[in-house]
Parts: sequence; structure tokens; C-alpha cells
Amino acid sequence: MGAKKILIIGGVAAGTKAAAKAARENPGLDIVVLTRDSHVSYAGCGLPYYIGDVIKAERELLVRRPKDFKADFGIEVITDIEATKILPEEKMVLAKDLNTGETRQFAYDKLVLATGASPFIPPLEGTTLGNIKTVRTVQEATAVKNLLSERKVQDAVVVGGGMIGLEVAENLSQRGIKTTVVELAPHILPPYDADIALYVQKYLAEKEITVLAGTAVKSFVDNGQGDVGAVSTGADLLKADLVVLSAGVRPNVELAVDCGILLGPTGAIAVNNKTETNINGIYAVGDCAENVNLITSQAVWYPMGSTANKTGRVAGINLAGTGAEVTVKGVLGTSVLKLFELNIAKTGLSERDARALGYNVETVIVPASDRAHYYPGSRTIVTKLIVDRDSRRVLGGQIFGEGAVDKPIDILVTAISLGATVDQLSGLDLAYAPPFSTALSTTAVAANVMMNKLAGKFTGVGPLDLKEKMDAGAMLVDVRIDKEYFVRKIPGSINIPLRRLQERVDELDREREIILVCKVGLRAYLALLKLKRLGFEKVSILEGGITAYPFETE
Amino acid sequence: MAEKFINARGMQCPGPIVQLFKEAQNCAPGDILCIEVTDHGFKKDIAAWCKKTKNELLSLEDDGGVIRARIKKG
Repeated sequence: MGAKKILIIGGVAAGTKAAAKAARENPGLDIVVLTRDSHVSYAGCGLPYYIGDVIKAERELLVRRPKDFKADFGIEVITDIEATKILPEEKMVLAKDLNTGETRQFAYDKLVLATGASPFIPPLEGTTLGNIKTVRTVQEATAVKNLLSERKVQDAVVVGGGMIGLEVAENLSQRGIKTTVVELAPHILPPYDADIALYVQKYLAEKEITVLAGTAVKSFVDNGQGDVGAVSTGADLLKADLVVLSAGVRPNVELAVDCGILLGPTGAIAVNNKTETNINGIYAVGDCAENVNLITSQAVWYPMGSTANKTGRVAGINLAGTGAEVTVKGVLGTSVLKLFELNIAKTGLSERDARALGYNVETVIVPASDRAHYYPGSRTIVTKLIVDRDSRRVLGGQIFGEGAVDKPIDILVTAISLGATVDQLSGLDLAYAPPFSTALSTTAVAANVMMNKLAGKFTGVGPLDLKEKMDAGAMLVDVRIDKEYFVRKIPGSINIPLRRLQERVDELDREREIILVCKVGLRAYLALLKLKRLGFEKVSILEGGITAYPFETE
Repeated sequence: MAEKFINARGMQCPGPIVQLFKEAQNCAPGDILCIEVTDHGFKKDIAAWCKKTKNELLSLEDDGGVIRARIKKG
């Protein structure tokens, strides 16, 4: 009997990770990877930066070439070949050579599906016009990059305001192209909460990227030469000589469905925690397969490079069969992105998700300095923390700012993964020296504010609820000094500096709700304590202060 | 024409903007004010301040985390 045959369909992140890990665990395996692409193991997440010329040459994106896999691991990678049918009874895969058209047969003992996901093409008039592109593969990105290099693009429309769409928009804008992002959902970054996403929208507007959220594209309009000339939203006709479709992706499951592999509730391939499908000997990893949310234990589909590498590695170990089987514990849907100088990150449940799931939700929005305020280069970052009031467990977090957000989000990932309460989060012995952090880190400050809120020491008003409150008669009182108020204020607010609050208290109406605001929340909290001592009852604080306010100031 | 330097490094809000208001009062039209700040939020504040006070922002640079603004008193 020859070596055990492992066949892997798909050669980007999860497929090549499974192959390489299996080979390292068990060098005696006969491993073959099939991919319909002409590239293998490329940095798909790097494509927006390649378009933006941050990454100059195509080869910089290629992690390993087919011959590297052969030389380093003895893995045979066959490119330009498309698997067309799985025959589970015969343990055989039929595949079509895309160059010659011939059909080839590949026998296997174990099969891994790493078929990935494909861009969703909205069913609209004009999607087949020239210069309407998707950016999923290296070739597609090169096509966009060539158009830019030939100076054929002045106006671009990106359809879809998810992470990739926004990264593409940033990179197009950096190359001097007037860029508009059209998003169907009420705000960009749909998995994020609106209070965070709207701040990002305001930031993008400052960077002269037009964002049209809650807007559907109706059709693409021919420029008269077979290429796109404009995008119609019904209300507007947006000039565009390049359209990038980034309206999400769909799992590639046709091959699996055709041979009887079951899908889960999300529409991706259902797998157990060992990455096995319902058919014995067939695994599914990466973007084509489902995951489990670590908090809710529900099936979820997060097509992320980080998750693909994790599931690929688990499959590789289990395929090798040389030791104990390993499992995927679950994921949190963690994400991080950079747009110009703004960094944005999320993990766990959003406030919206947590409420929909029936948690007794509490949230805070807390700006704080990422490093000692006096240390050059320090920046304010804003942490939104979401906890369950009953168990005090941390459910999620969202962080944005020009400073370090990746470290604090990873602290939250760790805390949530280990089931930490907000009290435990507050007590973590985090590293501190001025160039790195503050004596009480942004995470600890957010946790402490949350503990104060849970203890009933203050009530907060979220920025999204402010207008409704003011329309219902609430007074918005800005307690910063007059000079700060002069520079920037929230429309409709009045200014009573904290230090003059006592002497000017008669200007406040005890019958009306009073919402206090300052730059980050500290002075507003001090003002709240003072007013409560003076017998005011309906007093609260604007969460996140002026710093995190997602709407126009004046 | 005088040139005035303000070291507002290490000051947190509202320190830098208070310093600026104070010093600007003592300047004659055409005088130059140069202020150095480590509070990054100042970048946005200074642009808004100049616009509202009709002073001219000559330059705004970020030198390794130190924000340096040069302003001509209007």
C-alpha cells in the first residue's frame, strides 16, 4: 500500500495552511493541492494596498510559489485546474485542466475543501460593462492597478462599505482619485454599532471620501464605449470611470452540495469542531466553511484570513493522524482595519447583536490616551465596551482612534475568550511605561467607567439618542471652559464651565433632564456628582464626550 | 514684527488652547506665534481656532509626535 493520499481543493490561505501543516506533522503523506487560480498562497488581504501602490509589485503578494511547496514540503500544487465533481463513494475528484480542457482524476484517502468565497455580484443592469471590477484575486487587483497606472481613472465608486471596500476606497483616494462609497446598510462597517461606524463616516468625509449609506445602487451606466461611465442610485448619477464591487462574498459550496455535503444555517458548509463535514474523510476549512461563535455557541460565518489559517491548521493536524486530534474552539469575529490615520477594531458581540440575543446589556464609550499624554506621539483612542449586567461578563468591544487599537482589542479578545468579567478586566496587570501605555491603560479606564455605571454612579446618554432627548426638552450642558467651547461645540448646547457650575446653577432647570458633556467624560462626571449633591435628579452624561461624537460639531 | 514661542508640550486639554488665547491677546497684527504641543487633538483645534478668530495658520507640522503650529495674528 502506498502513502496516504491527501487531496486539497483550494490554494489560498486555508488550503495551503492545511497542506503545509499536514506535511510537517507527517512527511510520509502524499499531498496534492488543486487550485483554479494561477496563483497560490497569496496575500488576499494585501490586495487593497497593492492597488494603492503601498505594495509595488505582484510578486510581493505571493507568499509561496508552487515550486516552493514541492521543494520545502514535498507538496504538489497544481494551478489552473478546477475541481468539477466529488465522488465520495469512489473517493475520487474529477477536475478540468483550464489550459487544455482535459478532465483528470484524483484519488484521495482524505479530502479537504478550501474552496473559499466569491464576490457577490449584485443582480443589476450593467454589471458586465468594462471597468467594473472585483478585487478578490491577484489578477483582478492587477487589472485595477493597471487602469490607475494608465491614468484612466478620475472618479471611482466603491459599491459596499465593508472593510475591504473601505480599504480599497482609502487606497484609491491616496492615489488622487475622487472616491465615493455606496453602502446599502444604514451605515458603513455593518457589523459595527452605528455610534462607532458613524464616527468613521464623519472621518472619511474629512478625508474627502463621499459616503452614501443606506443607499442602493440601481444600475451602471454605459459611457458610450462599453465601459462604465456612471453609477445610478435613482436619486443621484455618480460619475465613475472605475467601479469596484465589494458588496460582500458568498461561500463557494456548489461542489460540496453536489456530492451531498450539508450546509449549515449560514449557507456555508457545516463542520464539527474538528473541521469534518458530514461525509467521512471530507473536511472543510477557510471561507467555504462555518464557524462557531465563542460567546453564543451559534453557527456563524466569518470569512476572515485569520480564521482561515486557524481552521486550516486544525485540519492539517487532524489529517496527518500522527497524534491526538485538535479542535477549533470558536471565533469572536474579531476585525481590525486602518483608514488613513484612523485605526478601527471590533471583537465579540456588538451592542445590537447582544440586545437581539436577549442579554441585559450595558455599554460605555470611553476616550483615553493610548500612551502617557506628555509622551510625543500619544493619541486618544475611544473604547466602547459591551457587558452583560447579570453576569458582568464582557461581551464585546469596539475601539477607534489614531493611536494603538490592536493591542487593546487583543486584550479584550483574550478576556472574552477566557470568560472574564468587567471586574477581572479592570484588574489585569497590564504593561506600562510612558512610550507604550498609561498607568491605567485605556482598557482599564473603560472597565472602571463601566463598573461605575453598573454601580449606578452615573447614567449615560449615547450619542445616537441625544437628538431625541433634546427634542423632548433635555438641556445639553457643556462643562468645558469657554475657550474650548468657542473652538468646537455640539449644536444646541449651552456652556457652563465646571468651575463655575456652583455660581451659575440657577441657569439650570431642575425639571428638565440635564445632559452633561465635556471632552472625554471626566469633567462631565465631576459636574454630575456636583449637581446630584445640589439636589438635581435627572442628570446624565453624554457617552464619549465631544471626542467620540459622531455627528457635525460647530 | 515680533515672534513669540509657546511651549505647551505635555499640557492636556484645555491647556494649549488657553495658552494660545492668552498670548494672542498680547500680540499685534502681523506678529507670529509659534506653539508646540504634544496633545494630538490640538491639530484639529488650531485649525478651527484660526478660522474663528481670523488668524492665519501659516504651517502645521507633526514632528515625531510634537505638533508645531505657526500662526500670523490677524
